[in-house]
Amino acid sequence: MSGMGPSAIGSNVSSNNSNQIKIMSSILEEIETKIEELKTSTIKSNVGVVRETGDGVARIEGLSDVMLNEMIEFPNGVFGLALNLEETEVGAILLGETTKVSEGDEVKTTGRLLSVPVGKALLGRVVNTLGQPLDDKGAIKSETFYPLEKIAPGVIKRRSVNQPVQTGIMAIDAMIPIGRGQRELIIGDRATGKTTIAIDTIISQARLNKAAEDQGDKNYRPLYCIYVAIGQKNSNVARTLAVLEKEGALPYTTIISAPASDTATNQYLAPFAGAAMGEWFMDNGMDALIVYDDLSKHAVAYRQVSLVLKRPSGREAYPGDVFYLHSRLLERAARMNEQFGGGSVTALPIIETQAGDVSAYIPTNVISITDGQIYLETDLFYQGIRPAISVGLSVSRVGSAAQIKAIKQVAGKVKLDLAQFRELAAFAQFGSDLDAATRARLDRGQRIVELFKQKQYNPIPVEEQVAVMWAMQNGYTDPVPVERVKEYQVKLQDWLETRKEGLLRAIREKKELDKDLESQLKATLDEFKATWR
Amino acid sequence: MKINKEIRRLSRGMLRASFTDGELDPGRIASLVDSLIARKPRHHIEVLKNYRRLLRLELEKRRARVETASEADSAIRSELVANLKKKYGSDLTTEFVVNPQLLGGMRIRVGSDVWDGTVRNRLERLEQQL
Repeated sequence: MSGMGPSAIGSNVSSNNSNQIKIMSSILEEIETKIEELKTSTIKSNVGVVRETGDGVARIEGLSDVMLNEMIEFPNGVFGLALNLEETEVGAILLGETTKVSEGDEVKTTGRLLSVPVGKALLGRVVNTLGQPLDDKGAIKSETFYPLEKIAPGVIKRRSVNQPVQTGIMAIDAMIPIGRGQRELIIGDRATGKTTIAIDTIISQARLNKAAEDQGDKNYRPLYCIYVAIGQKNSNVARTLAVLEKEGALPYTTIISAPASDTATNQYLAPFAGAAMGEWFMDNGMDALIVYDDLSKHAVAYRQVSLVLKRPSGREAYPGDVFYLHSRLLERAARMNEQFGGGSVTALPIIETQAGDVSAYIPTNVISITDGQIYLETDLFYQGIRPAISVGLSVSRVGSAAQIKAIKQVAGKVKLDLAQFRELAAFAQFGSDLDAATRARLDRGQRIVELFKQKQYNPIPVEEQVAVMWAMQNGYTDPVPVERVKEYQVKLQDWLETRKEGLLRAIREKKELDKDLESQLKATLDEFKATWR
Repeated sequence: MKINKEIRRLSRGMLRASFTDGELDPGRIASLVDSLIARKPRHHIEVLKNYRRLLRLELEKRRARVETASEADSAIRSELVANLKKKYGSDLTTEFVVNPQLLGGMRIRVGSDVWDGTVRNRLERLEQQL
């Protein structure tokens, strides 16, 4: 600039000016044409009149062009969803303030589907069914919206499960492994620890995500969590939120809350909103985990909506499409092919049974849809076996394909051992003189049961699980009295964490126990044995 | 009102029989109603009520309501009526209403179709966009 004469600067200014004038005039022209458009533009729309309203639904006459599941607009900014298209009437469910709708109101079609904001802006937030914030952290800055109802990915886009979800719960990771893209049902009576398993899994993911972030591990695929609370007490949701916040899991989690005081409409739509938010992660090549807590209440909310819409009812007054309701929701959990980004959505639906009855309508439906279930028993819970997982009734149909090799090596026979132990334990109550083999099997079984007891909100890293189970398989826990096995395990984990970090890292990275690692493990455990008293 | 299948079938049948050459025929409607009352089948009162409702909806489809902010002149009116009849059939009845709340422009409603070119509607749309 210093070399330029005053004339050069002058010409520069004038060319700038003429440029600006050009831009301004084009802007003015544009606005002019917009005004002209607005003057002449007449919108054609399709309208109807509210004939009847109540219980969160409205019956509308007219709306001859409305489409199924289309959003319709009532006065005062209330929206609805057209769910029943009949010969002369349309049945719609109302979203939001239902008291603002009255008979005679004019209703307009919008041509849009109900959508929710999606994206990473939702992580760490508590939102309602429509994705509006319920916490006091300000507006959600998301520009992408996904429709609630979407057809699940087809066979070409999918691949089989091959990556694990480390729940951090030893009994699950060893016997009922879950893979990314799987749908694993958590089923049990009230107060048997269903939600706790889900929360533990979320906490475990947050710890793994954070550890990978801290180490700058690019190969680790973070698993983002979405917790959908349907028809729960607000106090329960607040407690869950507090736990997640305390354990540092909230930055990787979205909570969608449709509490018991919310309308049945919002409770019915909440899981679909969660699925839409999860699908965004999947479509962008990331992994998500969705907990639907719980689908029994979801079915009840849908039953209410269907009954007030006067749809024909079937068994237990549920509508005929309650199976389809859950199957289309859970079908949206998938693992995508590498060609399509390789993302995944894992679903953990929860079902509450009444007095352990898994053969009721909704439990059997959801059992048949999912890829396995974790069955929790009241009896085990009160015996102090927590998590109260019933080994015989719990299965995972696809997850073992995703288990890491080290776990397979140490836990391959655990499920069988435990099943045999349960059978023998019932039989051994009657006789005291047992042969040595039976005695050994009983001793082993009791120790496995002890090892699988785990405190809540305390997920165990997979490498520690491997070390502990290797110790059990190789007889290191046999001399320890049953009532002290837990103590042994805790001390061993502590010892490994503080003194043998290198060994733990080696197991974590190799994901397999080779000769070298086994000999290291043996040396470590012998060393620990000397200190244990 | 609870409507069963029988009522729905009968009233729908009556509605179908109320047309001659695609237009509602008042003479036929009257004779249908008279014959129903004379025969008095089961639920005949509900059938009549439902028939009345179906007729009302049918008539609404054939009624145009034109709202303007100020009185429209007769040339515009006759042109509008002619155009609407061309689009919706010759049995369309047109009603003109003056509604100063619209501020300006015109709003036409035929059945559930609405063309809204009023200033008020534009303001509302602008409000929503902002």
